[in-house]
Amino acid sequence: MDFGWSEEELGFRAELRRFLRTELDGRWEGPVRQLGSAENVRYSRDFTARLAERGWLIPHWPAEHGGGGSSPWKHMITGEELWSIGEPRGPQYMNVNWIGPSIMAHGTEAQRREHLPRIARGEVIWCQGFSEPEAGSDLVALRTRAVRDGDDYLVTGSKVWTSYASVADYCYLLVRTDPAAPRHQGISVLLVPTDTPGFEIRSIDAVIGDHAFHELNFAEMRVAASCRLGPENEGWNVVREALAFERVGAPRYARASRVLDDLVDWAERDERPLTAAVRERIATARAACEAARLLAYRVVDERAQGLPPSANVYIARAAMVRAERAVGEVGLEIMGAEGLVDGSLADEQLRKAMVAGIAAGTYEMQLNLVARALELPRG
Amino acid sequence: MRFMLTADQRALLDATRALLARHAGASRARALGGHAPRYDAELDEALVDAGFAGCARDHDAGALAAALVVEATAEALGVVAIGARALVAPGLDVDPPAGAVALMVAGRQGPARFACEARAALVAWGPEAWLVAMDGVAADRVASRYGYPLGRVVARGDWVSRGDPLGPGSGPRLLAWWRAALALELVGTMRAAFDLTLEYVRHRSQFGKPIGSFQAVQHRLAETSILIEGSRLLALETAWLGAPDEAAAVALTHAAAAARRVFHETHQLTGAMGFAVDNDLHLSTMRLPALLTEAATMPPAGEAVVTSRWPALAAREG
Repeated sequence: MDFGWSEEELGFRAELRRFLRTELDGRWEGPVRQLGSAENVRYSRDFTARLAERGWLIPHWPAEHGGGGSSPWKHMITGEELWSIGEPRGPQYMNVNWIGPSIMAHGTEAQRREHLPRIARGEVIWCQGFSEPEAGSDLVALRTRAVRDGDDYLVTGSKVWTSYASVADYCYLLVRTDPAAPRHQGISVLLVPTDTPGFEIRSIDAVIGDHAFHELNFAEMRVAASCRLGPENEGWNVVREALAFERVGAPRYARASRVLDDLVDWAERDERPLTAAVRERIATARAACEAARLLAYRVVDERAQGLPPSANVYIARAAMVRAERAVGEVGLEIMGAEGLVDGSLADEQLRKAMVAGIAAGTYEMQLNLVARALELPRG
Repeated sequence: MRFMLTADQRALLDATRALLARHAGASRARALGGHAPRYDAELDEALVDAGFAGCARDHDAGALAAALVVEATAEALGVVAIGARALVAPGLDVDPPAGAVALMVAGRQGPARFACEARAALVAWGPEAWLVAMDGVAADRVASRYGYPLGRVVARGDWVSRGDPLGPGSGPRLLAWWRAALALELVGTMRAAFDLTLEYVRHRSQFGKPIGSFQAVQHRLAETSILIEGSRLLALETAWLGAPDEAAAVALTHAAAAARRVFHETHQLTGAMGFAVDNDLHLSTMRLPALLTEAATMPPAGEAVVTSRWPALAAREG
């Protein structure tokens, strides 16, 4: 056990911070910071490409796919630094965390050639077509059908709560290719260009943000069978692996920590009195962020050691949710009614915290999986 | 950053656990008096003789190794001042005489762990810590069922200044190492209570199935385990870092919140059976409030988090 950073890792973090200071100065403000907004997407494409030029977008990818072949720690440091300031990579963090690795692991040569270089250059945006009106936590209940028709599939069904769909170039789409098979079988993954005729997108207004959600509808949308990732009907295994990456891919604790610092700075500047009770809750929130940090590091270490994902992934994810919520709650206590103003620190954090327990598998699903790892009897 | 134990750390922990299997555990705690035990001088001596209590002074092993010993000793229900001996004293670079070491804050007169049997005390007194020989300091036994021998110092006058001051700044250092040690003792104790509860809900059947199969039970245990795991990593990291003020206060803040939850959940999920003295659960759970109140003799850890991370706030009160 060793809680230290290597010289190289410390140097990398310092260099990255210097780069971010000059790169973001004056540009990373206002609507540009609203994940999924048109301004955000425009800026993030530009920013991510510049990150890629420096070799910092995919340091953890193998060299044969344009990566730096380094341990996952560099990628984690990048994630922490970028999430803590609001994630200027925009939706592209998903590409490098799990969509790219998923294509690396299961893609055909042609799929790798088509997708990986564009992800590596930071010039493509993906969305994930997972949830459906009748398939949320119970994701394997998904019904969107893909019926083989010659060299194509005809896809019919709906996806919902899809983030970034209106700005995405591709969708990582889960479909059912064998409705007769047991639920976990008969699922396939399709990598679908969002400009495919019949890829219908409707935005859903939501209190958590202006560009948060979409509904996707397909009526016999024709998708080439060559777009299928991995073997037909074995998509569940493909996606389960991907989800393990997704759960800790976004170091939410880093942002929550930063927001807590900013909230305290705000209170100092505004000379707000902080009662002993509020200070106690600030400390509790800080502790929740720190616990989540170490629990996430433990997962990165497992990955660095080449171990398969363990239940520590779910523990880390649940701890991150707790941290986000703790900061979300104390934010309003610190700011009072000022926290209700659109775009205030407390407002943004509270809305992020609302999503944290739902996205990437609900908090309850993480707890179910932790319970399974504790070898509690199945219900 | 490595989360797996090194070969040396693993060997130390295995050897410590082997010793604890012989000299500690539930039956030993019962032999010592169960929820109102006497001090385990034999275990104390065994841990010192084997070198485990002093491993923080070994340059290669360091405070992290000592932290593993403290955690394991608490998990094995040892009735010894392992936190003070293995972590706090080496952290202050002092070597108290053999036997129990009490940790105290000057001016706080309440019952304290090991006050009657302590050969020495480390006392926080403003900016300095003092190492005080306790042989001539009178203390009365306090009747209590919270898993440790408690005593109340009744010596008159200023007994602390009869000891040796450890230099400017040693006061806050004592508090930081004490917080780290308490966090580790809480973690080990929570783990013992949690594991018994886990075993219980796997086998206790109601409504025709194990109660551990109910989601209402599973989620509470899952959340509890997440809190314990987080507390553990924070406490170990704090020791590794040498107990900086902020990290130590964060570790104790987290562990204390976790312990409050563990106390209630383990007793709730084990029902009336968990209260029975025949059941081992109380040997760990009843210690949690004792450790929490010891934490509360120090300035609040939460306040220490705030003032060490945001010093500007230290000057301002709400």
